[in-house]
Amino acid sequence: MNTTFLIHTFWLSISGIPLTILITGAALLLGLPLGFGLAWIKIRKIKVLYPLAVAYTSLIRATPMVLLILLFYSTLPSFLNVIINKHFHLGIKVFDINPVIYAIIVFALIAIANLSEVFRSAILTIDPGQKEAALMVGLSPTQIYRRIIIPQALVSAIPNIGNLTLNILKGTSLAFMMAVPEITAVAKTAASYTYNYTEAYIDIFVIYFILGAILQVIFKFLERYLGRHKLKRTA
Amino acid sequence: MLTVKNFKKKYHQHEVLKGIDMTIEKGDVVALLGPSGSGKTTFLRGLAFLTPGDSGNIIFDDQKIDIQSATANDIKQLRQKMGFVFQNFNLFANKTALQNVEEGLVIGHKIPKAEAKQIAQEALKKVGLLEFSDHFPSQLSGGQAQRVGIARAAALNPEIILLDEPTSALDPELVADVLQVIKQLADEGKTMIVVTHEMAFARDVADKVVFMDRGLVVEQNEPAEFFDHPKSPRLKEFLSRISAASVANNSFEYEKSSVN
Amino acid sequence: MPPFSFEFFLSVFGEILPYLPITLLIIILSIIFSSLLGSFLAAGGISRSLFWRTVTQSYVFVLRSTPPIVLLFLVFYGFPKLLLLFLNINVNGWQKSVFVVIALSLLFASNLAEVFKAAYLTVNTGQREAALMAGLSEWQAFYRITLPQTIVVALPNFANTVAALIKDAALAYVIGLVDMMGAGNNLIARNFGHHSLETYLALAVVYWVIFIIVEQGTKYLEKYLSKSRAVDTTQSGVTA
Repeated sequence: MNTTFLIHTFWLSISGIPLTILITGAALLLGLPLGFGLAWIKIRKIKVLYPLAVAYTSLIRATPMVLLILLFYSTLPSFLNVIINKHFHLGIKVFDINPVIYAIIVFALIAIANLSEVFRSAILTIDPGQKEAALMVGLSPTQIYRRIIIPQALVSAIPNIGNLTLNILKGTSLAFMMAVPEITAVAKTAASYTYNYTEAYIDIFVIYFILGAILQVIFKFLERYLGRHKLKRTA
Repeated sequence: MLTVKNFKKKYHQHEVLKGIDMTIEKGDVVALLGPSGSGKTTFLRGLAFLTPGDSGNIIFDDQKIDIQSATANDIKQLRQKMGFVFQNFNLFANKTALQNVEEGLVIGHKIPKAEAKQIAQEALKKVGLLEFSDHFPSQLSGGQAQRVGIARAAALNPEIILLDEPTSALDPELVADVLQVIKQLADEGKTMIVVTHEMAFARDVADKVVFMDRGLVVEQNEPAEFFDHPKSPRLKEFLSRISAASVANNSFEYEKSSVN
Repeated sequence: MPPFSFEFFLSVFGEILPYLPITLLIIILSIIFSSLLGSFLAAGGISRSLFWRTVTQSYVFVLRSTPPIVLLFLVFYGFPKLLLLFLNINVNGWQKSVFVVIALSLLFASNLAEVFKAAYLTVNTGQREAALMAGLSEWQAFYRITLPQTIVVALPNFANTVAALIKDAALAYVIGLVDMMGAGNNLIARNFGHHSLETYLALAVVYWVIFIIVEQGTKYLEKYLSKSRAVDTTQSGVTA
């Protein structure tokens, strides 16, 4: 065990953390509204869009993350190039686009599919009595969703959103395949000079443990804060 | 004030309501009794279009509704005259007791916030829960939650309040408080239809008792006649299954709580 | 990018499907070992001993945050060193699939421990007490009454975990194992990076089919098993 390398690479790998957080955060920010829209399509069974939404969700959820990354990264740039430059002649250098953008797109696509299922089941578990009571005090269907159902669904969705965020955070360890210099990429590169792979992976393991622990604490706090109406009776 | 004609409802092949006729005058408190599965709750929910009936007419003051051709607007207008108290309370889980009462006033009935708050506090005070204003439903006992549910319905000052087995989800010791609140509303002259299993309550508070069985109104009368001289054999059988002792006992318990 | 060739897309299946058995073998072995380890961890999680509860909780907490690829590499590079150092066992001749199964088992044991524990806790209380009062021994109460119900309750989440395991097993190729994914990547390499779209799409289709089989199989199994469960729900309905 090369302790010097272990410690040196640990500090080196930390420089990859901002990118890891950026990709996770951006994917989540894109995924929340779009995932909600997708859930809406599935709940309302909106014509034409419904079967597409179901197929999209099923495909993304069934395909290994690594395969999705390979699939998109090997085809998306060429595909965009054809559309943007051959059809619209915009002259954007697609192949020079920062790979982080592609990473965000891929993880957002994953987040959207999974969050749509999270939202769908959260909304469907809200007691129909809540809607009935709201109807009887004169709320309109939109008001019922905005004021009663969505706030409650969001709270019950928090643990699952937390799980998904953790999964995306872990998934970003695959972003090195897209030449994104995140934690894993940095450590791997360092290890490749001296063949100290075990040490490098111990470093990555520890960093992910710390990030994961922080994330779990944040979501526990969110759950408690947003779910304060679920407090058990103290009296 | 409210007349229902030939109200029918089918679930799949099963005819739950086979044509209910009912008339309710302003200020009436009608107790709806019957064995489980007799269609009482279905009828009450049908009146509010929560589970719409298949056919029949509802005439509420000058509003005439043919159930088959009721528009969303008809239903909205009808519901504005009604308050509904649910068996399992259905308090908005994400709102405090006060917000539960305010919600319908501010959002549903567009009453200014300050005024709504005053009305809501008044309503909570009436059911004895003003000091629980900031409690969320999960922090209330069943009896307290149902009293908030009643306050929520009554605060909108509807012409009629429909109560669907308001005490059947409660622990026995919490029933009396809730019945007391309903009795108070009755004393104020509120028009109400109460689906209930509380015989003593029906006897003491109702102006009219209606017995439903197998999707039909079998017998209706003023309480004393209804309980002491039942006419139809089905009602006789139904009443005989409820022991006189429990009736007396219940009555005592709930009078007692009114003293406290 | 060459245009999408449907012909090539179809030919990919002929190239990758011969490697499906390796992929499936890894998946099945990992399910078995992670279930065994997961059961032990679940037992530790509900044991009265604070020591075992802490050990299992820490294990679950740490593994929850561990990316599969990191654990896979850690096992692949670190495990042989560890064995050589402490037990003087040389594992350099071992097949790569062994490391994949070890990594996946370690990883998913933590997920399954949570699934099993939660399922056991939803069933346990009244059923166990009733069985004991009916004269069954603690062990009989467990394997005749509690366990069958736990399995039914755990099934949906177990299936979800298995689906996740199947997907993470696709990472095996990164340590050089030639499974379905490995075969697909070799194919792309032989074509100098061309036809990656067709190849990856074909792989996605195979995974999709596996996913749907697992999904539908679970639904069927659930329906089949829940016959015995219907009795329980009516029982609890009476007390409610």
